[in-house]
Amino acid sequence: MIDFHVHKPSEGGEGGRYDSRPYTAADYVAVMDELGIDVSVVFTLDGLWHPSPAENDRVAAWVAEAPDRLVAFGTVDPRLPDAAAETERCLGELGMRGLKFHPWIQAFCPHEACMDPIAEVAAAHGAPILFHDGTPPYSTPLQIAALARRHPDVPMVLGHGGLQDHWREAIAAVTGTPNLWICLCGTPNAGMRAVVARCPSQRLLFGTDAGLGAAVSQPFAAERIAEVEQLEIEEEVRAAMLDGNARALLRLEEQVG
Amino acid sequence: MTLVFDAHVRLGVGRDASLTAGELLAAMDRLGIDRALISPQERCLAVDHRDGNAFVAEAARRSGDRLLPYAVASPWRGRGALDELARAADDGAVALALDPAVQGFDLLDGQADPLVEAAAARGWPIYVRTGTPSFALPLQLAELAVRHPQASFVMGKSGATDFWIDARPALERAPNLYADTAYAPWDVVLAGLAAPPIGWGRLVFSTDMPNSAPAIERARHDAWPLGDEARAAILGGTLQRLLP
Repeated sequence: MIDFHVHKPSEGGEGGRYDSRPYTAADYVAVMDELGIDVSVVFTLDGLWHPSPAENDRVAAWVAEAPDRLVAFGTVDPRLPDAAAETERCLGELGMRGLKFHPWIQAFCPHEACMDPIAEVAAAHGAPILFHDGTPPYSTPLQIAALARRHPDVPMVLGHGGLQDHWREAIAAVTGTPNLWICLCGTPNAGMRAVVARCPSQRLLFGTDAGLGAAVSQPFAAERIAEVEQLEIEEEVRAAMLDGNARALLRLEEQVG
Repeated sequence: MTLVFDAHVRLGVGRDASLTAGELLAAMDRLGIDRALISPQERCLAVDHRDGNAFVAEAARRSGDRLLPYAVASPWRGRGALDELARAADDGAVALALDPAVQGFDLLDGQADPLVEAAAARGWPIYVRTGTPSFALPLQLAELAVRHPQASFVMGKSGATDFWIDARPALERAPNLYADTAYAPWDVVLAGLAAPPIGWGRLVFSTDMPNSAPAIERARHDAWPLGDEARAAILGGTLQRLLP
């Protein structure tokens, strides 16, 4: 199983977010073993509020503790003049596999022109860009689809499958945008069923959002895994969503995970 | 023996999820749920209120007292909505359900106030579905609750998803507001809502069938490390107390 939506825990302190508390990558990998997760795609948490090269370095270092189990995504402030250069550093020097953005926290709209240079760097690396989605005003699925249509060579991912209110819109966005993928992560069960029934099965992904809780055990992640495992869908589709699709998108070597 | 009382289920044929009374009762048996408050499907919240009220009343009558009906009516109907509530009350309704996103009204535009007053006069709790911007938000519901201190409100979905962050301030604002546990992980949401001084007495369990995975919703309350008294209150004791 590949968990396509995990946050490195907050560093804590005054900049700490949610209830997240620091724990090590090794501790989290032990939790992954308990949960049956082979590989986790890891984003920053603190860096969503304060994106910086230093935070990208911290994510890369955290992931480097278990390089066969953890995959890093970076983030940048798309309005900064060095955003493309930092994107290049993330995907090149730091060896990150993709990018993560949370537009409403990071204060931009996904289809703003400031995202174009970043998408061009991602295209050069064949790296996907994942967005938080499901939340107006600046994280709706069709806003993300608008950017994806401008950059058809870049795989883009709806990181939350539309959440509670936008999963119908997410289905429309994915079915109308060949390079748009959808990660079921916080989508209500009725929405999960509809997404799986209506979206191309090869562009389905699954994520837990682990990293938001205080305890390394991340009980809500276990809950989300139980929910997707109980989802009444074809086993072939479940296997693709939980594993094969993510491997293809991340271009993971077979020996990883 | 702990009473397990589901605070919100939608019965009937919905846009993307449906549930029959038989399926609901079977799920309740499977999950150890004793009773459930039932609202009709979205169509009946939006337009066909009388059909909806009759439908859930009939399901309740056939359930051997396990299912209890919500009444539904549109705030846009004015006097007609009050007449519909009276009809539903005569048919066994014990609570009012409102859904601003489906029914198309603003919680603070004044149109819902007569319905709230009518429900409060009957001692009914009022379930209001929240989480959808711009007009179905926890803090807006809290203001409505402040306007009507004699009524009890259940904050449906507690702002799920990204308005979970508003659920705690909403509970702090209005002491007559109760949080719904549906969709909310205990470790990153519910524990924060139940923290003092709010306390576990302000949380009520629901599965939100058929939109949810009910087994997951129910299992959460066994996984959450709580004392027996708190667990019993959340699973049913508090809701039972709110009913007439």
